[in-house]
Amino acid sequence: MDVKVLDFEGPLDLLLHLIKESKVDIFNIPMEEITSQYLSYLHTLEVIDLEKASIYLPLASELMEIKAKMLLPKNEIEKEEAEDPRDDLVKRLLEYEAYKEITKSLKEKEQERKKVYTKLPSVLTPYMEENNIIENDNTLDDLIDAFQKFLKRKEEEKPLKTKVTLKEITISSRRLEIQSILKTKKRAKFKELFHHYSRSYVVATFLAILEMARESYLKITQDGLFEEIIVEVKEE
Amino acid sequence: MIAALEGLLFVVGEDGLTLSQIEEILEIDEEKAKEVLSTLKASYEESNRGIRIDFLGNRLKLTTKKEHQKYYQKLVVNKENNLLSQAALETLAIIAYNQPLTRLSVDKLRGVSSQQILRKLVAKGFVKEVGRSDLPGRPILYETTSMFLDYFGLSTIKDLPDMQNFLKQNQEEDDVDLYTSKYQEI
Repeated sequence: MDVKVLDFEGPLDLLLHLIKESKVDIFNIPMEEITSQYLSYLHTLEVIDLEKASIYLPLASELMEIKAKMLLPKNEIEKEEAEDPRDDLVKRLLEYEAYKEITKSLKEKEQERKKVYTKLPSVLTPYMEENNIIENDNTLDDLIDAFQKFLKRKEEEKPLKTKVTLKEITISSRRLEIQSILKTKKRAKFKELFHHYSRSYVVATFLAILEMARESYLKITQDGLFEEIIVEVKEE
Repeated sequence: MIAALEGLLFVVGEDGLTLSQIEEILEIDEEKAKEVLSTLKASYEESNRGIRIDFLGNRLKLTTKKEHQKYYQKLVVNKENNLLSQAALETLAIIAYNQPLTRLSVDKLRGVSSQQILRKLVAKGFVKEVGRSDLPGRPILYETTSMFLDYFGLSTIKDLPDMQNFLKQNQEEDDVDLYTSKYQEI
């Protein structure tokens, strides 16, 4: 038993082959004999191709189940009533065998049909109605126009450009901005110096104010607790 | 009219024409269409011609003659004859005799999964999806196509050989009728 195992189309095909080889009656399958043959095939196959072998496993377990059922002793009543446990399998085998036989006649028909030829359908586009053909008075401009419309539509279909970048906020840049605010306003509320509330912005602005105060550029005053903090340029 | 039909059949080639198409195009009734068709068919047969009219896959087509195959083959560069595999033939046979049916029914009859082979057959145009079954999961139902019939030189699905001729009967059993009727339920 070698690579020939691979030639079977499936478990039913293999079982049919075994039954034919052993020259046993399909309507009276000797379960013990056939099951052991089936299993030995299966074991060989497992060595060659485990994946393929797995296809043959369900029927193997079914064969063993049938074998076991047939070994069980039956009382008289059961003998009368019980169906042969092989019935369902035999039915499937016969059906499969019939289809297999039919494929032989299909093969013959296939060969016969190959002997005659037909031709591909003729190309009928030249006979198409006028309005299906691009009108001749289309100019190059129309084409360019259409192309531009297409490009525009493409542009609109594109996802919006959203570049995620980290906007770097430095203390020095905030200093310059605060200076320019104070140059025009002279005094400003502390709150007015914050335009955004992102963490880096707030930190940079706060540090810039502190720095400028330390350098005595700014004067920071507050009239009372929780009053508005006023920032103004220190007069020289 | 006869000449027009000849031209029509030439133009459509392997697509073929149905009788009702002929009626429609030539603006004639069915009886007249049949008459024109048989006149043309006869004229091909009477005189020694290289072309004949065949009814393949439910359509009328112009084909060459079998006895001339040897000449046409000389034109063929790739002599390899691409025939369908055993698995493909089995699957096609099962579908053809039980259509429409689901993939699972095919699997059950073959005893193996037919998923890949079925996909190939659909791609080749031999089998098509025709809807969904009412079974749980609403599986897809498959049917053979007109191309399938043509491929095997069959006019209609009725041209398939009778399934009963291929079913082995148990000689010992007397109630043969009951036995065979079991298989017709599929």
